[in-house]
Amino acid sequence: MIFSDTLQLAVRNLREAKLRTALTTLGVAIGIGSLVSMVSLGVGLQEQTVGRFMKSGIFNSITVFPRQPLRNARAFRRAAAPNERGIDKPILPLDDSAIGKMGSIANVREVYPNLRIPVELKYKDFSDFLSAVGVPMSSRGEGVFQTVTYGSFFPDEAGDYCMLSLEVAGRLPESQASHLIGKQIMLTYAAAGPAGAGMAGDILGGMNLQRAERSFKVVGIIDREPGPSFGGGIFSAVMIPLARARGMGVVDLANPQSMLRQLSQKPSYSSLTIRVAHPQDTDDVEKKVREMGFNAFSLNDALQGAKRAFIVLDIILGVIGSIALAVASLGIVNTMVMSILERTREIGVMKAIGGGEGDIRLIFLVESSIIGAMGGVFGLALGWMVGRAINLGANIYIERQGGRAGDLFSIPWWLIAVGVVFSILVSLAAGSYPAGRAARVDPIKALRHD
Amino acid sequence: MIIEANDLTRHYIMGESVVRALDGVSFTVNEGEFVGLLGTSGSGKSTLLNLIAGLDRPTEGGLKVFGRNLADMSRHDLALHRRRNVGMIFQSFNLIPTMSARENVTLPLMFAAVAREERERRAEELLASVGLAGRQLHKPNQLSGGEQQRVSIARALANSPSILLADEPTGNLDSKTAHGILELLRELQKAHGKTVLMVTHDQALASHYSERNITLLDGKVLDPVTA
Repeated sequence: MIFSDTLQLAVRNLREAKLRTALTTLGVAIGIGSLVSMVSLGVGLQEQTVGRFMKSGIFNSITVFPRQPLRNARAFRRAAAPNERGIDKPILPLDDSAIGKMGSIANVREVYPNLRIPVELKYKDFSDFLSAVGVPMSSRGEGVFQTVTYGSFFPDEAGDYCMLSLEVAGRLPESQASHLIGKQIMLTYAAAGPAGAGMAGDILGGMNLQRAERSFKVVGIIDREPGPSFGGGIFSAVMIPLARARGMGVVDLANPQSMLRQLSQKPSYSSLTIRVAHPQDTDDVEKKVREMGFNAFSLNDALQGAKRAFIVLDIILGVIGSIALAVASLGIVNTMVMSILERTREIGVMKAIGGGEGDIRLIFLVESSIIGAMGGVFGLALGWMVGRAINLGANIYIERQGGRAGDLFSIPWWLIAVGVVFSILVSLAAGSYPAGRAARVDPIKALRHD
Repeated sequence: MIIEANDLTRHYIMGESVVRALDGVSFTVNEGEFVGLLGTSGSGKSTLLNLIAGLDRPTEGGLKVFGRNLADMSRHDLALHRRRNVGMIFQSFNLIPTMSARENVTLPLMFAAVAREERERRAEELLASVGLAGRQLHKPNQLSGGEQQRVSIARALANSPSILLADEPTGNLDSKTAHGILELLRELQKAHGKTVLMVTHDQALASHYSERNITLLDGKVLDPVTA
């Protein structure tokens, strides 16, 4: 039999019993709808919580520190991680060659030093000691930089641009924070001078620290999102492009070791950030960095726990949502069995005039999968509408409670595909028993049947 | 020899007892014959027809059609046998009520995977040949009994089988219409070389149209000589 003919016969059969087909389809639609709304609730909640962390970029970043030259540290580490290699290597500096080596590890997207510079910010008559941080261009649109409250992200990494936190911007003498965009501010910082220049302020045996001043154009103002963006790292009162910060020859005062390093004119950093392609890559990369002789740390483990919790939540929601679908699949079985009883004689005739068992089985399987496909599509629409409705109500409540409105329900593309395919599969499974029964109808009995 | 039955037996188990519907029947039918299967009700004639049609399997004995033993065939091969070798005509027509005359005739062609245009052309041809050229799109309930039986004959002819198996084809028709149907069957036998096996309990009708009769009684051939 040609498949289009099977399809035609199946559609004809469904049309013969429009009401029954419609009711069965509705049952499947409710089943799929409940499953879709439950799963989309799980996905939505996950995006609302874990998703925000994910976008903050902290879960695909690894922070690297040099091994600390503490007494007994080596023995301690050997006890803590006896199988770890690289423990007995000498303490390595986090310098540019280390950055290069880490950059060539598989799945590493970028490596950049964490530069936090104490600065004095001057604007008109305002002056305060603050902390400036170097922000890589790749942070555009990520983490706290997802939304720039006023202005925009750095246009390029070479210019003297800066972004301010809204909190600092508010303290500057300007009627409105937004008026600061485009204005110049002055940053004063300590820079390493040429070795042995022997100026005043000479500390640490020959290392020169100079007061340096530089003017920066304010391009953006960022309001730090309240809530759990811990470790989101690169947010500070003043943010300047990382390349700019590196070019300034600043001394990282947070790390005496790095200050000492300046003596040899080989800058090293107190810590680096490694960005990997995907959060699941952190384990591998961390291990390799440790093998290189550094300490590495990421928050991905914490995320794994949260993810596990959400997987359990998804399963629970999925199971609850599946109950209606299970009931609906019994509806399909019932409808098809009824239909076969009604059409027993017809099946007998079909067999008598040369219809094979396979042909007849396929007609009924196609019938139930049509019910499944239609139910799946309507179910998705239904699930979406239910999600929207609950979301609307929930957000009104959340906003009244002072929370932030968001999408509690999220229907990703995969859920649409999975919803329809699952609906068809469930319908096929439900239809397989009746279809098998139809195929095995005894034609002689069927032809005597009224 | 197109059909060859050898000690053909079909027993049914009905609760505790065994019904011997066919009890050692042997006969042969040659190609192009018009054979009447006679007998009272319960004599086993319909059972015999169903066995030849491949709708049922013998309990014992051999039944060869075109030299192939139906008893040894798989269910799939039996379906092919029904599709290609035999065309069935029933007392109660057994048309599908929701399909038009033409759709009913195309159904066996669908199972034979004939393309749409080809099978619609063939169905129109067949309906015209049984005198229903103008009734193509009528549903069975818009047709008279005689017309319905003509549709059913056209359907039986769809895949050009060699054998037509008619089970009381005139049982639901008045005698005038019945003669028309039997004339049609005889024409198919004479002009188109079809082998016709017709089950009937009407001796007069059978003797008028068939060339030879096999009479069954209680599952046995009554007069083996004629067989």
